[in-house]
Amino acid sequence: MPIISIKDVSKLYGFGDATTVALDEVSIDVEAGEFVAVMGPSGSGKSTLMNIIGLLDRPSHGEYLLSNRYVSKLRPNQRAKMRRDKIGFVFQSFNLLPKLSVLDNVALPLMYRGVSTVKRLQRAEDVLERVGLKDRQYFMPKALSGGQVQRAAIARALVGDPQIIIADEPTGNLDSAASLIVMELLSELHRTGNTIIMVTHNPEITRYADRVVYMHDGCIVHDQRTPVGEVPALAKKAMYVYPRRTEEDDLAGVSAMMDFRPEKSTTKKRRASKKTTKKRSSVKQKRTTNA
Amino acid sequence: MRSGNFKVAYKTIRESKWQSSLTMFGIVVGIVSVVTIVSLGQGIKRQIVGEIKSVGSDLITVRAGKGVKRDADGNIQKISPDFVYGFGSGTLNDRDVAIVEGSLGVKDATPIRLLNGSVIADGREYGDGFVLGTNPSLPNLIQQKLEYGSYFTTGETSRQVAVIGKSVAEELFQENVPLGQVVTIRGQDFIVRGVFEKFNSNPLGQGIDLNKAIFVPTTSLKEVAGTAAPVVRVLARPQNPKNAGDLAKQISSSIKDSHGGQDDTTVLLQSENLQVTSSVLDKLTGFIAAIAAISLVVGGIGIMNIMLVSVSERTREIGVRKAVGATNRQIRNQFMAEAIVLSVLGGIVGIIASFVLNFLIRVTTDLTPVITWPVVIVAAVVSVSVGIIFGTIPAVKAARKDPIDALRIGN
Repeated sequence: MPIISIKDVSKLYGFGDATTVALDEVSIDVEAGEFVAVMGPSGSGKSTLMNIIGLLDRPSHGEYLLSNRYVSKLRPNQRAKMRRDKIGFVFQSFNLLPKLSVLDNVALPLMYRGVSTVKRLQRAEDVLERVGLKDRQYFMPKALSGGQVQRAAIARALVGDPQIIIADEPTGNLDSAASLIVMELLSELHRTGNTIIMVTHNPEITRYADRVVYMHDGCIVHDQRTPVGEVPALAKKAMYVYPRRTEEDDLAGVSAMMDFRPEKSTTKKRRASKKTTKKRSSVKQKRTTNA
Repeated sequence: MRSGNFKVAYKTIRESKWQSSLTMFGIVVGIVSVVTIVSLGQGIKRQIVGEIKSVGSDLITVRAGKGVKRDADGNIQKISPDFVYGFGSGTLNDRDVAIVEGSLGVKDATPIRLLNGSVIADGREYGDGFVLGTNPSLPNLIQQKLEYGSYFTTGETSRQVAVIGKSVAEELFQENVPLGQVVTIRGQDFIVRGVFEKFNSNPLGQGIDLNKAIFVPTTSLKEVAGTAAPVVRVLARPQNPKNAGDLAKQISSSIKDSHGGQDDTTVLLQSENLQVTSSVLDKLTGFIAAIAAISLVVGGIGIMNIMLVSVSERTREIGVRKAVGATNRQIRNQFMAEAIVLSVLGGIVGIIASFVLNFLIRVTTDLTPVITWPVVIVAAVVSVSVGIIFGTIPAVKAARKDPIDALRIGN
């Protein structure tokens, strides 16, 4: 029985001619204990999917079963309670509350469960020990390095023993050394049986996942199981295989300058026009960082 | 959970000290002004009531004109301001005086004749005061002692002697002994034979300072001034204080009969005077306090403003809290707690500041404001309600924020 079961879920924003389809009848099942990496260009609907899985948002259409319960029609307060009990969030920008100490930040989700102060601080301390920040528990977030803050954020996600951890580009704001530590930590959590869903732009870190999902224009275009430790070939290419091309690009003539189309793209051709590729890839990088 | 909210709120407030203290200042000013004004009113009321009581509640005052409306039981419903303050304009005649003096059960009575205008002594003119012609029984009637000398006796009613108030003595004779000196009233010399102790009460009406009065025998004043010194009051005291009410009614009906059935005089008991004066003062205090209460509303709006700013500043925090599982109600309670803590702190500081200001007023002026417990309790309740009323909108706004939008801001 999958822990997450999404069937034909769509999410629309706006109305009339201005309707944007953020998710287009997406279906995905996630088993307990899986580490799913979600890749895709910006605007592909990854974040919307994460918001729906994380119960921050509700789908416009479709069914969502979270641990065997239909949750797509829940009211905001019920969603808040489900979120509190079943889901832990790790954000790209950490999102620790700057005015609370690390310990208080980690204990925060338990406060909303009504756990007594002593118990929740004890529990928070235990979790901080697990992520290796016990000696930093009384620090304020701004006194920690980026990697430490993200580990504290992971501790906060863990503190309530959630069934699912949702990480939205957890290494997006970190340098490679800090990224490594954070990913090792997530990997460790995965080994101990946690279900993790992670959005990333960085193909390198998909090596920690055992399943990689590619999204494009609100659809899941590829879903691949990979052994942990291997970066799937498609992940490396993901950026190039599915370039983002919009009507505006066509109108402005930008498309013409993109010397490849998904169907045309070959390594040979790219080697041939090395110069343009370089230029283009720098554009791509910019896009990646913008996202 | 509840206490946790207040702890967090207190912490948040302490972190933005300037903002919070300025916000609180609005509430503090509101509470201080309301409490101080009410306590000043209470103090003045207590003072005046004390003065009236010191005269004795069985003193009967008869005066011309109809300034009091009574219901069927004889209780005062309405009194014209003319009858509370000053001498008033109507005058009585000798027959009225005789009726009061001759009424059964009257122990002492005296007409009060009033002569305005300056008096001269020692070449100095004194224009602040006035001359009152009275019977020898006046000190007894209004229960006032003399500081020096003695009041004129029944044998001296047509002699030109005077007893003066303390202010008159100080103004006219300064360091000299006033006794035996001469004051000139309308060209006639009166010999000073006594000085009253300082008057603390106003038995003739509010605003009449008897310290500035020169008391002479009524007969001699009549001889000197004639119709220029009309009878403005007749004071009487019953033999038995318990009969004061009956006696007042009896006097009233006797005068009505002698005026051919026309009800054109007013007979007031001192106890009624008390009731009327305190009701007027209560109304006045209430009115001014209501004006001061506007500042409380302004303070409340200040709280609302700060809370709205705080909500939009902390959008991201709200998003994070919601993401980790806070329900709308929990977010709302957090912000409500903040508004309530702000206003309660303001209330506490305001009440303390009121006591300090009260002390300062007592020390630096001759007013004696009285802070009563009901006022303090009302102030406390008001400060909490201001927090609740003006904290609700921002808190609801905070609670309704969409977590996704809230998390996106500042990303």
